[in-house]
Amino acid sequence: MKKTKNAKALISEYFIFVIFIALVIVLACLKPSFIQPSNLVNILKQASINGILAFGMMFVIIAGGFDMSVGSTVAFAGILAAMLGQGQYPLVVPLVVAMLAGLAVGVVNGVGVAVGDLPPFIMTLGTMTAVRGLALLTSNGKPITGISQEYKAVAANSIAGIPMLAVFLIIVILICSFILAKTVYGRRVYACGGNLQAARVSGINTTMIRISTFAIAGLLAGLSGFLMTSRVTIGQPTAAESYEMDAITACVVGGVSMSGGVGKPWGVVVGCLLITVIANGLDIMGVSSHWQKIVKGAIIVLAVLIDVKGKSKKN
Amino acid sequence: MEYILEMKDISKTFPGVKALDHVQLQIKAGEVHALMGENGAGKSTLMKILMGIYSKDEGGEILFDGQPYEVSNPKEAMDHGVAMIHQELNPILDMSVFENIFVGRELRKHGLVDSKAEIREAQKLIEECGLHVSPKEKLRNLTVAQCQLIEIIKAISINAKIIIMDEPTAAITEREVELLFGHIRRLKEKGVAIIYISHRMDEIFSICDRVSVYRDGHYIGSGETKDLTEAQLIKMMVGREITDVFPKLDAQIGEVIFEAKNIVRADNKVKGVDFSVRKGEILGIGGLVGAGRSELVEGIFGMHELSSGEIYVKGKKVNVHSPRDIIKEGVALITEDRKVTGLNLSGSVNDNIAMVAIRKLVSNGLYNQNKARSASQEYIKKLNIKTPSGEQIVGNLSGGNQQKVVIAKWLLNDPDIIILDEPTRGIDVGAKRDIYLLLGQLVQQGKAVIMISSEIPELMGVCDRIMVMCEGNLSGEVKRDEFSQERIMTLASAIEV
Amino acid sequence: MSKKRILAMLMASAMTLGMVSGCGNSGTDGSQDSDASTDSTDGAYKIALIQQHQTNAFQIAVSEAAEEKAEEMGVDLTILSADQDAATQISQIEQCVSEGYDAILFEPVDPDGLCDAAKSAADAGVVVINIISACTDWENYGISAVSYGDNVKAGETEMQHVADLLGGKGNIAILTGPSGDSGGLQRMEGYENVLKNYPDMVQVVSPADCQWDTASAQATVESWLSAYDLDAIICENDGMAVGAGNAAGANSGIIITGVDGTPDGFEAIKDGRITGTVSQNGGAMAANAIEAAVTLLSGGTLEENVIITDNTWIDASNVADYE
Repeated sequence: MKKTKNAKALISEYFIFVIFIALVIVLACLKPSFIQPSNLVNILKQASINGILAFGMMFVIIAGGFDMSVGSTVAFAGILAAMLGQGQYPLVVPLVVAMLAGLAVGVVNGVGVAVGDLPPFIMTLGTMTAVRGLALLTSNGKPITGISQEYKAVAANSIAGIPMLAVFLIIVILICSFILAKTVYGRRVYACGGNLQAARVSGINTTMIRISTFAIAGLLAGLSGFLMTSRVTIGQPTAAESYEMDAITACVVGGVSMSGGVGKPWGVVVGCLLITVIANGLDIMGVSSHWQKIVKGAIIVLAVLIDVKGKSKKN
Repeated sequence: MEYILEMKDISKTFPGVKALDHVQLQIKAGEVHALMGENGAGKSTLMKILMGIYSKDEGGEILFDGQPYEVSNPKEAMDHGVAMIHQELNPILDMSVFENIFVGRELRKHGLVDSKAEIREAQKLIEECGLHVSPKEKLRNLTVAQCQLIEIIKAISINAKIIIMDEPTAAITEREVELLFGHIRRLKEKGVAIIYISHRMDEIFSICDRVSVYRDGHYIGSGETKDLTEAQLIKMMVGREITDVFPKLDAQIGEVIFEAKNIVRADNKVKGVDFSVRKGEILGIGGLVGAGRSELVEGIFGMHELSSGEIYVKGKKVNVHSPRDIIKEGVALITEDRKVTGLNLSGSVNDNIAMVAIRKLVSNGLYNQNKARSASQEYIKKLNIKTPSGEQIVGNLSGGNQQKVVIAKWLLNDPDIIILDEPTRGIDVGAKRDIYLLLGQLVQQGKAVIMISSEIPELMGVCDRIMVMCEGNLSGEVKRDEFSQERIMTLASAIEV
Repeated sequence: MSKKRILAMLMASAMTLGMVSGCGNSGTDGSQDSDASTDSTDGAYKIALIQQHQTNAFQIAVSEAAEEKAEEMGVDLTILSADQDAATQISQIEQCVSEGYDAILFEPVDPDGLCDAAKSAADAGVVVINIISACTDWENYGISAVSYGDNVKAGETEMQHVADLLGGKGNIAILTGPSGDSGGLQRMEGYENVLKNYPDMVQVVSPADCQWDTASAQATVESWLSAYDLDAIICENDGMAVGAGNAAGANSGIIITGVDGTPDGFEAIKDGRITGTVSQNGGAMAANAIEAAVTLLSGGTLEENVIITDNTWIDASNVADYE
């Protein structure tokens, strides 16, 4: 009796994972080419950039914030990386500059929210607009072409059949999961989002924690920008439009609570894969773009609904 | 050195308000020192200065262990050995018990969080407190009382020299209070000083050594509790004599007006309860926290699904699917947590009072501001709500006045049966007395009142009849002439006699 | 999406502010002329160019050519961007009328939504010319001329080259711009005109809306390639063609084509990721429009009020001439 109860609790806890597996099985039955190794590699590649962004977003949301600016930051960092990645410097230069640019945007967001006491939505909406302008200004509105072969290879290559992009994602997942689960800092991020007042009276420097989560989101957006440019082989000021929405969706679908304090890294991984698999599967089935939007929206709402219902049954 | 803490000549000015006016406080090591005063007297402000949450005005000084004490945030205060259990509970609901206990001072091993050690430590502390929860349980799944004890454990585990307890017993039952007092005595023996803020007189006299009284931001006086009487203390706090703590007005008890039969909640938190209440009667519902009292009235009120049960109002059977169904029949429920389910804290007093009976305040299909204002004025006066105006934001009022606003909101709808869940929790003597008087007036008008309370003296002072619940069942009923503390406690803990 | 709207509002207010303070992109070029014009009553013409947006190479080429032409002809040119928002463009046109511009050249964000604004401007005596694309029934709304490259023709050119390369037979797929975009719809019309003649060219998947975006096109084509055997991918712009080319890899044997002739497209043609593109000479469209405006303002008449800029097919053989 007790065992079945535990199994039930386990299933409801990992419900989104069950939904994900079910979706994969359905897609594989409808279109066998979906589970070909080459397509699985595609899914990994396509999930990577959104996955890295979603992990940054996860820190911000768990700490009780919200970041609308990551899409613009990807474009801006991507432009800088493209300009510096023409072969004139070692590849580490565009990488570091892109990440520092992202970090700078994140710190501005964090200071605005934690010190200036602005609502995260407003603050990051402002930087979203301004940083997009910065990307257009830096590139003069044109795509930046001519990045070096070496730089293109970053996204194009694979290690033991695993695309490099996915390797970056896996490294990010491992580091972020470790930070959240094992470090004092990670614990305090949850505390800030769970109850900011309680965290403050418990002696936590909530200002620094909140700034740092935005900084992490910015840093990872910078990394994404670097990878994005390598993947599309050009730096585009208009790239990554509304990527913040996909990152937020991955978090929410993966069980990160928008009110803060709740969320597990593995959930975000599943959330991110779920979105990618939906897009990939619909493309493969040749579903028209207009229908894709409807189906994507419906699956996301349904997945979360089933997840929430599954959990509430437990209590 | 006689005092471990001396606060001298402390003032604090907020924009437009002088919250503290040259007040003082002296605490000896190893004593339990009560801070008393009505809400708004300045006790909380004084403690927040001590914790570094507020900064004091220029002038005045704080000496801790004879040394000047300057802190600018709670972390620094805790580093000095001053910890506080806040009146507004501050648990992080989505974190586990052990994480809450160690938040802000996590145990480390190789620079990483040592969860295993934290769980072990937490287990030990929990057992010492006689609490039966797993350290890994999320606070969301705990009762209010358990959360309160976790807060206390957290403060104890900090090894503080001074622990401030702001209304630590507001949400816990007598049995748990005894456990808490046991801890306080043990802490005393270790030389820890406790600053104890409470509105409950019996507690002050049973646990506190000395008391300091404040009123309207002024220091009134200090003394040993053994030299003081309850009446003297109340006089110091209120500034006038209150002869009668539990005023009881005479009312004519009439026919049955409300009846509930075999109430079973779908989640099995209430397992078949029958009761009825008559016109002009105040029925008390006693029992321990978690006995199913709130769950019973919330089930009747349509806030939770019932798997069986019949409800009759004025002899008519009512099918309750949502609160609207029963509000229509003239029943009002004043919920336990006024901040969560009772009030729109950022709305004005007028807006809040208008919330339930908004249909009465409509003319020509539109919400009539003037009607709302005059209705609100009437109740502000009737209930003696202390507010600068009806436009005041409710969140800025004291707890007692907030509670009166909730009551006013329901009275405006002119209900015949009024259910109140812990109506006096966390409010001061004066406001409590106002509420008791109001209940008396309501039953004099032929209404019926059902009141849930964890304070047995309050139930005995106010009610005509008390029904006691235990573990979702009705364990017994006591009439006014048979009231005794022991009888009610026995029923509440379901010890077969 | 509301986010976009807020963005547009911010941009619009910034733009209005810019105009009130008399800012103009060509300030340095035109200022000499306007200084001179203070002496004479018939000084330099004040012309406003309102672009749909300024965020890609095609549009930047439009601005650059317009500035060059303005300098050459001695007119005072102000360039504005509507940032893809029809409401912004309408208020920009109104603002230009009240600022006393002699001519307004604009690329309508929406072919229907801008008609009334154009008419009010024309009624106020301003010469109004459409560039790049035209308003619906433009002649009835007082618009004096249109200067564009025919999008339908561009689509026909692109698809005809694909048909020739495939020998009229094969599996094809199409990537489109945002659903409902008029330029994209016209290119699609061109595709269909050609495909009618080649029954053996089969669309094996429905056209995918990739929002003109490289990354999005890349992901879609990656997915397609693991499920379909494609011989050609026809894209409505170069950015998406580059994405398709990235997915397929260099010299994949799949014919990939675009429209526009932008630097990223040229780069991809050179290294074999895409086959070719149809160049739409946006710069020439703007320059022709300025010429037409000056002719009309100085009292002349136009031989033809539809000025078509021809498109050219660019592939590996001639890409070097266009960079």
